[in-house]
Amino acid sequence: MDRNKISKWLKEPGKMSQKYSLSVVYFCTGCGIIEIPPVITARWDAERFGVIPVASARHANLFMVTGYVSLKTLKAIIRTYEQMPEPKYVVGFGSCPINGGMYWDSYNTIKHLDKYIPVDGWIAGCMPRPEAIIIGVTHLWTLIDKGMAKGYVKYRKKYKYFRQNQEKLLGKLPWQPAFSTGDNNE
Amino acid sequence: MNESLTSEIHNTFKNTKCSIIGDNRLLIKTENEVIAALLKFLKDKNFNRLAMVSCVDWIKRETFEIIYIVASFCIENPLNIIIKTEISRKKPEINTIIDIFENAEPYEREIHELFGVNVIGHPRLIPLLLEREYKIPPLRKDFDMRKYSKELFDSIPFIGDKK
Amino acid sequence: MRELELYFGPQHMGMVGNFSITLSVEGDKILKATSNPGYLHRGFEKLMEYRTWIQNFPLVCRINVIEPDSMEMVYAMAVEKLNKIEVPERANFIRSVYLELARVGSHLFGLWAYSNMLGFDTAAQWAMYHRDLILDLFEELTGARVYHIYINPGGVRRDFPKGFKEKIVKTLHSIGGCVPDYNDVFFNNRVFYERASGIGKLSQGDAIKYGAVGQTLNATGISSDIRKIEPYAAYDKVDFNIPVRENGDAHSRILIVRDEMIESVHMIFKLLDQMPEGEVWNRTPNPFKWNIPEGETYVRVESSRGELGLYMVSDGGDKPYRVHFKTPSYNNGLVILEKLLKGANIADVGNIMISLYIIAPEIDR
Repeated sequence: MDRNKISKWLKEPGKMSQKYSLSVVYFCTGCGIIEIPPVITARWDAERFGVIPVASARHANLFMVTGYVSLKTLKAIIRTYEQMPEPKYVVGFGSCPINGGMYWDSYNTIKHLDKYIPVDGWIAGCMPRPEAIIIGVTHLWTLIDKGMAKGYVKYRKKYKYFRQNQEKLLGKLPWQPAFSTGDNNE
Repeated sequence: MNESLTSEIHNTFKNTKCSIIGDNRLLIKTENEVIAALLKFLKDKNFNRLAMVSCVDWIKRETFEIIYIVASFCIENPLNIIIKTEISRKKPEINTIIDIFENAEPYEREIHELFGVNVIGHPRLIPLLLEREYKIPPLRKDFDMRKYSKELFDSIPFIGDKK
Repeated sequence: MRELELYFGPQHMGMVGNFSITLSVEGDKILKATSNPGYLHRGFEKLMEYRTWIQNFPLVCRINVIEPDSMEMVYAMAVEKLNKIEVPERANFIRSVYLELARVGSHLFGLWAYSNMLGFDTAAQWAMYHRDLILDLFEELTGARVYHIYINPGGVRRDFPKGFKEKIVKTLHSIGGCVPDYNDVFFNNRVFYERASGIGKLSQGDAIKYGAVGQTLNATGISSDIRKIEPYAAYDKVDFNIPVRENGDAHSRILIVRDEMIESVHMIFKLLDQMPEGEVWNRTPNPFKWNIPEGETYVRVESSRGELGLYMVSDGGDKPYRVHFKTPSYNNGLVILEKLLKGANIADVGNIMISLYIIAPEIDR
């Protein structure tokens, strides 16, 4: 290691060790079930970048939303995101979470993932190649270094607006709000 | 083999018309009341596999058309039989065929959910694919999909970064 | 003992895609199982009515994400039947080679899912690596790894590049040379036999009663394959066997997957030897304004999981009037799964689900 890296490790050991060992929640939503297995197995091995899949949401700190999101899946995604411990990051895959993608006029898929959970980065493509996924992870490291990946802080501060958007789309939600919203109507 | 089968069907059931469309495809147009008897007759003749149950919305004629496709498990018999019947669009109702072909159950649930056709005698008519109820069932021709999706999803605002 | 309701959520080891089941258990035994599809529903049949005939080709291959090529083939066959278009001879041979390569790739993906779930990680990593070698071949031919959009009505989009035949033969020799290793590690392993034999047993009478297709049907002793019943593309010019087994349990179904892969590789070699020269695409007159005469049709194709059918109605316009896909996982996942899970143990749920080879996006469309 050169002198820059050693000084970074000494100044902020917590941030550096967290950056190089991201655990991914193994939740493949839509079309992403074909490009995630090649990334984790022997050919494009993601474990040399510190990324491994884990089974439970309580052990993870990276959530990859791989592909389009339908209305039933959105409920599962919100519950999984709220159960992850902080600090946590979300990366959107493909062109469907960005603006609806190929199903822009469908009655059952959502068009912008930004409105319901906070997203830190996007990877473009339909499906993106495994090399693009690995470049996306290294870009996330740069954002974490500069302190720009603050999605979970935004979720905590503006929880009132996120919860309003979720209830407007899905109706009355069967779980309690994660943080106090300041309203007195529950 | 096809001529003997079509002449038998013409003699046994009134008001049915058979025709050949393409290789190995026989089309039968009949009435709603004789569907169960016709399917049982074909099942005894070794056409014991139900491929699918489907529905087409002819909005100009004000009818729904219900389609049953049967085939055979025998490897030497490539014939597929397409059976069509028309029901009214204002009050659509059909009888279930689960006692003849057991695997018709999810197909009839899907027709009920996406077209609004009532299936009499079905043991479990609960939602299969959709998450909510729509005023007009989604696959009918008077459901405007682009207008519905634009109104629902564009009315939810973005969340800005300002304090 | 008390009865308990257990919710097997949308993401678990037993399924490729999101598909959940609700079990009611007593102790370790399952009394009743209900499947809840719908997590991947996009409304394809309504989306296709708003796009023209040519604009539907990039959309139709996304219904099944593991093997999108059989979807393109069945839609192109339906359009050609309604419009009475002839396909040149060389294009038929190229289509057969392309579909058989896709079949081998899809079976390798299924092998990854199954051996990962049972606990054989070595065979899983090898299978995924070999599937990547086949995706490299597709990338050279069509330009993309997973969604190819290569089959057009009237032929295929472009001819084989220079030296492509030798590359196919070399890749398949290197994959086929590993079959003895796969046999030692996974297929002839005593532990695999102990874990999978006798699980999820389906008798021949039940398979006929519930309308099974694909490997589930061939494992009960009935031989059925659309490539022999109604040959399409160039399948009537090459002879091959249909693997059939007698037991009807999960062990036999996976052994049929291995036998089908070996048959496909031999078929590709025979087709490459017999391929004639000539044109590859009989072009449509004006793709921007293309009306198809009135009519209806029902076409079938043998995909890697069973019989895939399409019922299409046209009213003389430039967009389809009604499109309905009959996918092989619909029957297996919603009718047969509920019957087989009754009386099984909780530990065998993943085993039964993957050996029936259910792909969730096909059920919801």
